[in-house]
Amino acid sequence: MKKFFSLGRLFLALVFFLMYLPIFYLIYYSFSSGSRMDGFKHFSLVHYQTLFADTRMISIVLNTLIIALLAALISTIIGTSGALAINRAKRSRRQLLVLNNILMVSPDVIIGASFLIFFTFLGVQLGFWSVLLSHIAFCIPIVVLMVLPQVRTMPRSLTDAAYDLGASRWQAFSQVTIPAIAPGIRAGFFMALTYSLDDFAVTFFVTGNGFSTLAVEIYSRARQGIDLEINALSTVMFLVSLVLVFIYSRFSVKGKGAAVK
Amino acid sequence: MAILKFAGVKKGFGDTEILKDISFEIEEGKFYTILGPSGSGKTTILRLIAGFDQPDGGAIYFDGKQINDLPANKRQVNTVFQDYALFPNLNVFENVAFGLRLQRMKKRAIQLRAQEALALVHLGGYAHRELDELSGGQQQRVAIARAIANRPKVLLLDEALSALDHKLRKEMQTELRQLQRQLGITFIFVTHDQEEALAMSDQIMIINEGYIEQSGTPVDIYDEPLNHFVADFIGESNIIPATMVKDFVVEINGKQFTCVDAGITPGEAVEVVLRPEDLDITTVESGKLAATVDSQLFRGVDYQIMVHDRDGHEWKINSIHKTTVGKEIGITFDPEDIHVMRKGESQAAFNARLASYQEVDHDQA
Repeated sequence: MKKFFSLGRLFLALVFFLMYLPIFYLIYYSFSSGSRMDGFKHFSLVHYQTLFADTRMISIVLNTLIIALLAALISTIIGTSGALAINRAKRSRRQLLVLNNILMVSPDVIIGASFLIFFTFLGVQLGFWSVLLSHIAFCIPIVVLMVLPQVRTMPRSLTDAAYDLGASRWQAFSQVTIPAIAPGIRAGFFMALTYSLDDFAVTFFVTGNGFSTLAVEIYSRARQGIDLEINALSTVMFLVSLVLVFIYSRFSVKGKGAAVK
Repeated sequence: MAILKFAGVKKGFGDTEILKDISFEIEEGKFYTILGPSGSGKTTILRLIAGFDQPDGGAIYFDGKQINDLPANKRQVNTVFQDYALFPNLNVFENVAFGLRLQRMKKRAIQLRAQEALALVHLGGYAHRELDELSGGQQQRVAIARAIANRPKVLLLDEALSALDHKLRKEMQTELRQLQRQLGITFIFVTHDQEEALAMSDQIMIINEGYIEQSGTPVDIYDEPLNHFVADFIGESNIIPATMVKDFVVEINGKQFTCVDAGITPGEAVEVVLRPEDLDITTVESGKLAATVDSQLFRGVDYQIMVHDRDGHEWKINSIHKTTVGKEIGITFDPEDIHVMRKGESQAAFNARLASYQEVDHDQA
């Protein structure tokens, strides 16, 4: 029998407690009837009512989700093709990967500022399209990074076997290559989704014309003093992400099980 | 009739030439083995037959038609890969049915064919298993079933048994041989394991450094290796430099022995092969050579005994009888146990020489 209160377990519990404390603090006050977080008045759903009545906020949430889904989808397609191409490029593979990783590590502020300059130079109006394009752009390297290892570990004999059994190039690609790298594609898609959902810095630069995403909106509202409607929203978001993580883990466990030789 | 023919095929990758000049014919319904050390080019030959690579020179014919540039998906050839290459997202049945689905066969027909192929590899009840529920040996069988489900004219097996443990490998050897007889199609099996090649094949082709060293039946290759490489690669052997004295007499280490080879210029420097299991241990008096036992190794079926003769030459002897290290023994062998190899003799020249004096034998008899 292992000791229940070992030092390792205690440390882990402490870490988790500290990480989740602020979130639970936020959630706790979202149910308070007061308007500030300096003392719990009594239980009420009033902040949720204002949240769901706030059409501006709801439309921003929808915008954010649409941007995230579209950006994740498009960047997954481009990033996966990119990973396949990088894997095929024998000589320039390293250089291409370095170029990809530079985009990953460079600060969001720099990327955001450069997009702002780029869009104003081209005369693109700032709004939905500028945000979508820049989100796609910063998600691609993430997808490449998630998909590439899967592409590399896929044995070449798998596509050879498909050709051998009579598959055309397209059939081999769609029926063998894609399913074989699917776990990487899935991981890339979800990573791109979360990156796009949370992005603040890049969006802050390229948004305008009344268009806003959740991160930017919360930031601008928080500057005028915290409103407990934000707490209610955060609670909803927290639950949604909990569900998403659950779905994702179900998916990836299944994917892994099938990938084992 | 030859179903597959290579004529002067060359293939290189970058600066390295893998296949230098390969010509052979494959007949329908036989079990062929391409045998060679790693890096000899044997897998490249298989990839050329399957159509994964194209030759740089020469021509490949299938059923009389040149197929140099015919893509892999248009060839009536299927491959069992070394790593099985099973599709991880599909279950056993779907893997086997993969090729049939691509041919747009009727659902019912696919069902029947896939079940038939699975039954042939003794996996009848496994159709709906997932791949990760199977052992390595069973996955191997699925790979074979998938390849034969398409009813190819030629089945290629690339080191197909090398990932299995010894016992399973032995079983699969017998099964593959049976399967080939049952299906009546040509199998081309690539391996570096000479024992496997000898046990399974009708015909063996020995490849080394991009050339075919020798081809023939297992018995021919074992008993009459054409050169030093083949003698050394196939089985165990004592290879000794010698001189031909005249027809049917060869001089080894200064002693003359009767042999069964002829047609070689007297005085020509040759090499003789004596298989360790053909050497018998006897008393010093009745032996053709006297020697001292240096070491003895028990190997289960026999003992491997290393001895050195009075002139200091080493001999390897395989015997089921044990002896004592340090003991003086005699070595004896029969004239037919000596096989004489000429240096640089081609297979054609060897066959011609053999034919010439075997006819003489015949006339005398």
